[in-house]
Amino acid sequence: MSQEKANTEWEYPTVNVLHDQALVEEFIEGIGKNIFIMTPSFPYIFIGKLVEVIEDQAVVDVKVTTISELENRQWYVHIHQIEVFYIQQKGQPRIPELRDDY
Amino acid sequence: MKRHYHVVAISIRIVLNNFGDYNRDGMMYVLKENEQKVKELVRKNPFSPVSLVEPLCIRANVGDEVEVLFENQIHYATGMHFQEADYNVLNSDGANVGLNPSSLAETGEKILYTLKVNHEGVYMFSDLGDPDSSDEGTNINGMFGCLFVEPRGSWWTDPVTGGPLNSGVYADVHHPFLPSYREYAFIFHDEMPTKDVTGNRPLNPETNQERESTHAINYRYEPMENRARLLEEGVVCPDCEGEEVHHDSWVFGDPATPILRGYRGDPVKFRLVNAGVKETHAFHYHVHQWSKDPKNTESEILDAQAVSPQSWYTVQPHYGLGSLQGAFGDAILHCHLYPHFGVGMWGLNRIFDTLQDGSQCYPNGEPIAQLQPLPDRPCPPMPTKEKPGFPNFIPGKLGCKAPRPPLGIVGGRDMTKLEKNAAIPNPRPGSVFADACAIAENPVVQEFNVSLIQLPIVYNRQGWNDPIGRIYVLDEDREDVLSGKKEPEPLVLHMTANSCVRINFTNCLPEVAAGNAFQLVTRAYEASFHVHFVKFDVLASDGSNVGWNYDSSVLSGETIRYEYFADVELKAWFFHDHLFPGFHQQHGVFGTGVVHPRFSSFLDSKTGEEVDHGVQITAVHPLIPDYRDMVLMVHDFALLFDKDGCPLQPPEFPSSQDDPGLFGVNYKNEPLQFRLGKDKDPAYSFSSFVHGDPITPILHSYEGDPIRIRLLQGAQEESHSFNVHGLRWKAEYPDSETKLRDQQHISISESFTLQMDVPRAGDYLWTFETEEDLWNGLWGLIRAFDEEVDFLIPLPDRQCPPKRTKALPEPTGKAPAKAEVVTSPGPVNAPVKSFNIVAFHTPIIYSNWGERDPFGIVFALEEDVEEILNGKNPEPLIIRANQGDVVEINLTSRLERGEFPYPDGIWKYPPVKEQAFYPPSLRISLHAQLLDYDVKTSAGETVGFNPDQTVAPGDVVTYKWYVDNPVGACGLWDMADIRNHRSLGTYGAFIAEPKGTVYLDPFSGEEVETGANVVLRNPFLLDTREFVLVMYDGARLVDRKGNLIIDPVDGILGGVDPEDSDDLVDTYDNGSRGFNYRTERLINRLLKYPELKDLFSSKVFGDPSTPLFEAYPGDPITIRLVNPSERRRSHTFHIHGHYWNNDDKDISSEVRSIEGEIVTGHTVDLPLHYGAGSLYNYPGDYMYRSGNIRWDIEQGMWGIIRVHASKEKHLLELKNNNED
Repeated sequence: MSQEKANTEWEYPTVNVLHDQALVEEFIEGIGKNIFIMTPSFPYIFIGKLVEVIEDQAVVDVKVTTISELENRQWYVHIHQIEVFYIQQKGQPRIPELRDDY
Repeated sequence: MKRHYHVVAISIRIVLNNFGDYNRDGMMYVLKENEQKVKELVRKNPFSPVSLVEPLCIRANVGDEVEVLFENQIHYATGMHFQEADYNVLNSDGANVGLNPSSLAETGEKILYTLKVNHEGVYMFSDLGDPDSSDEGTNINGMFGCLFVEPRGSWWTDPVTGGPLNSGVYADVHHPFLPSYREYAFIFHDEMPTKDVTGNRPLNPETNQERESTHAINYRYEPMENRARLLEEGVVCPDCEGEEVHHDSWVFGDPATPILRGYRGDPVKFRLVNAGVKETHAFHYHVHQWSKDPKNTESEILDAQAVSPQSWYTVQPHYGLGSLQGAFGDAILHCHLYPHFGVGMWGLNRIFDTLQDGSQCYPNGEPIAQLQPLPDRPCPPMPTKEKPGFPNFIPGKLGCKAPRPPLGIVGGRDMTKLEKNAAIPNPRPGSVFADACAIAENPVVQEFNVSLIQLPIVYNRQGWNDPIGRIYVLDEDREDVLSGKKEPEPLVLHMTANSCVRINFTNCLPEVAAGNAFQLVTRAYEASFHVHFVKFDVLASDGSNVGWNYDSSVLSGETIRYEYFADVELKAWFFHDHLFPGFHQQHGVFGTGVVHPRFSSFLDSKTGEEVDHGVQITAVHPLIPDYRDMVLMVHDFALLFDKDGCPLQPPEFPSSQDDPGLFGVNYKNEPLQFRLGKDKDPAYSFSSFVHGDPITPILHSYEGDPIRIRLLQGAQEESHSFNVHGLRWKAEYPDSETKLRDQQHISISESFTLQMDVPRAGDYLWTFETEEDLWNGLWGLIRAFDEEVDFLIPLPDRQCPPKRTKALPEPTGKAPAKAEVVTSPGPVNAPVKSFNIVAFHTPIIYSNWGERDPFGIVFALEEDVEEILNGKNPEPLIIRANQGDVVEINLTSRLERGEFPYPDGIWKYPPVKEQAFYPPSLRISLHAQLLDYDVKTSAGETVGFNPDQTVAPGDVVTYKWYVDNPVGACGLWDMADIRNHRSLGTYGAFIAEPKGTVYLDPFSGEEVETGANVVLRNPFLLDTREFVLVMYDGARLVDRKGNLIIDPVDGILGGVDPEDSDDLVDTYDNGSRGFNYRTERLINRLLKYPELKDLFSSKVFGDPSTPLFEAYPGDPITIRLVNPSERRRSHTFHIHGHYWNNDDKDISSEVRSIEGEIVTGHTVDLPLHYGAGSLYNYPGDYMYRSGNIRWDIEQGMWGIIRVHASKEKHLLELKNNNED
């Protein structure tokens, strides 16, 4: 019992914390780039520019989402709620440009 | 909480409208406190409707115990049977079923029913003491009502006074923390015997024949014929024709039918109920949309709902009254089946924009009753002289047709001062009083110029034609369509969500039409473009003329602009004319707009060029998978002539609504009578090798392509059953937690998106599969190519198909060969379960009353054939396999010429329209629903350019089906000869069970191969009793003496009035019916012992011939219900005292005790909540039955589930019940 307690009191980060932090780092590196995000909750999709990362929140200047009423504003998206994301990199595929007036 | 209601059943004169149409022999339930009052009011008002004469609606909250003291003042025993409730079946069933004591009340007596109400919804109640379907019956005369069960903690008030309310069709329901809502009971019912004010049968002034039978809402109807008489006499609007002003309050004042009042934005729950005896009605509500299942936010979005007899829905419009755009005005609600709509099955939802405190009047001086604002919503503004509110700013003139809306009509008028005061800040054509396109910021505007034109349309290669076809076309296609360069097809517009759609609509119809065998000369002089689903200003863009609204249609030669917003709802929106649809919608006046996901683009599937309209297109999208999109619009009442100009299926007199004409899909049909071939063998009717491809739509795709079928019905009255063979889709389009289906019931105005992938190359049959529809040509193909073709672009996001290495198949005129190799899509190491099945002739005894089919054809396992031929009465073949199994079927035909009832090749009974020579096939096949198989070898039918999958006598055909999913009930049926086989019993069921399940005989405990009644044992699941019900109709039976039974007429308890006998039933009502090759027709019982109240009693008659299922209290039960038979009349299924989830794959779905809209191909799995005896495990006899008084219950479609109180020797207990 005492051994277990001692284990939990280690100050090293757990694997979950490391994993979560790695994700946050990935977003921090992507600041200023275009990003595509899918979340399980409404409105499900965000496409825009990753403006800033505040703790574990990605601030995205959203140009496109599923409905137009929620576009052209900054969204705070909890990074650990994101199911799928893609930060556009040089030499990698571009995020499709989505326009209503195709 | 305990609630107590004292309810009395009384006979009462029901006056159905202000014209004095009445039912002398009406019956109703009423609260005791109102009994004397209502009787006195009716006595004083014999010729006008009395507001207290309404279906009894009482209320309780979830969790309540409700005591109903029922007092019977009808002159024979009656009762109240409640759906949905938990109760002791021995004393509160409101029926006299099986071995239960009767819970009916004799005349003058009282009985106490005790109910527990444990889920929200509609607990419809009706009488089961008298199941007679004739005009003497109780239900047809009004003995029905509803107990509405509200969320726990609710209370309700009178919408007018704000005071307490004990009963009533309208209530404002409040809750401590949920929003208040208006509750509207909208109770359809039909066939009520009705006389006009003179005591005669009502006549139609146009035809001078009797008008349609009564189709009413809440004991009221407002027939066009009554109102038209005022036009004819010159009392009002002498220049009007009739139909175009039927709903116009400026001409006639408000109707007697329900006017459901509320303020803009009010939350609402419609309790939509069909208490009728016969018809499946189609509820449509203008301007609003709702989730099909109010408990499921991912459920499909609807704005029309089919509702079968004794079934119900809760309709909760999104965004409240006026929808997202905040529209106000009159939104009509109606049954969309035009003959019903025309005869008065409609009401108005009146959405006020100003406060009604009782001080205002309508334009005709009628006072506007007070209407309490909902307490948790902002109070609407008081009307002022400058802003009087709807309808008092509209510049109409009493007695004349409603005025046209301002701005919309090209060359039309500007706004009046009052209109300007009521308008939005930037009024424009089509959006004057509500701005739907302002929902989004600067949405894309898509503009279409549409004309409605008249032209002859040829429906098939035999020259069947509609000389006055009427269709919508884009103006740019108009010349090409008129000159024959382009085939006429329903106009399908494509757009993306988030579009502002503008339609410039021109009426190019001649002012006068018809004058032929089908229709009298009619001055259909104005027309419109009325839309469903999208958002719009109801006053300017409804394309209709209803209530105190404007008439937003145009005269011949005029153009009007409508404006709509297509928001996120990805449905196909139906459009049609709303001024003369009863006259001409069946000539083709319908089309659709498909709202695709945002950012889609649309390509011509052949050329790859961008398009914005077309029945079949390819839709591409940067993110989601690209797909093929096809619209199928089915219609009935197609008024066709043959190539020599002879009318096909003309009515008895012109302009009769009694099922005239035939059928079409996208203005085409491919009747089977023309696809017999040289051999005269029906087995190859669907073969393109023998007859070429059908003229009906063929959807082209490549193997693996995603497809979306937009299924709509354009006209006019009847239910249809859409089936796709070999493919399947998720039942609720946006929701992944939903069951798989391959069949969809549809009625006019409904719209379904069926989304699926085409897994393999081959020809897939789609069909509207009731016998009469299919016979008359409602079928076509989905063709998936395995190699490239030059008329179909590949989907850009899929791999290109391989280059073509072999030529496309061509018609040869000869029957195709069998497939050389039959493979299964399952893994190579999947367990294989083989069934050797034989189809053979054998008499089937349908009842203990000697009813039988001497010509029966059944499927049976080879090992059971001898026993059946030696006299064992057959049951439908019911086989099972588990998920992961490959099922190998080896099918043999032992059919013989000379063993069919109509060897001359014309099947006389049950009949279909357009009887023709079609001799019996000796070949047979077995088609299975919902399983995974290669349609080129194992669809159980010979379709398109697929190899032969039917089998000749003495030969064997093999199919391989892979059970990739435990889909539960699947229908099985023959597709070799749909005319000469199905009525004789060529159907069965396949049940796809969970992996690891074994099936045990409930009596011996031994493993069994077949049977309707088994115990399922699975190491991970509770032992469950599985009861399989194969609901059938269209059977051809003879009685003990060998005389043909003409059901339903021969089984009507109260007999048929000779005056009605000619047109009482439609073709598709004919035939006998029941479950599992058995029937228990009540007429036999009545003739033996003439007491209506005892007809379901086993104490008097012994148990019924239909399956008797047995269980112990609390035993888990799953009902598997299939309907593989043939007729177009939809059925309802109900089990007394039990309920289940609406979707067995979605545990949060709505809980119900009824399943409606059951028609050919319907399958459903019903795991009963809490098992046998429901929540309280009450033992007793529970009736399972149809909900159709006309004409199912008395024709034998009922049976019993017996829940034994104690251990019976013959019935094994389930392991779950053992204490160890």
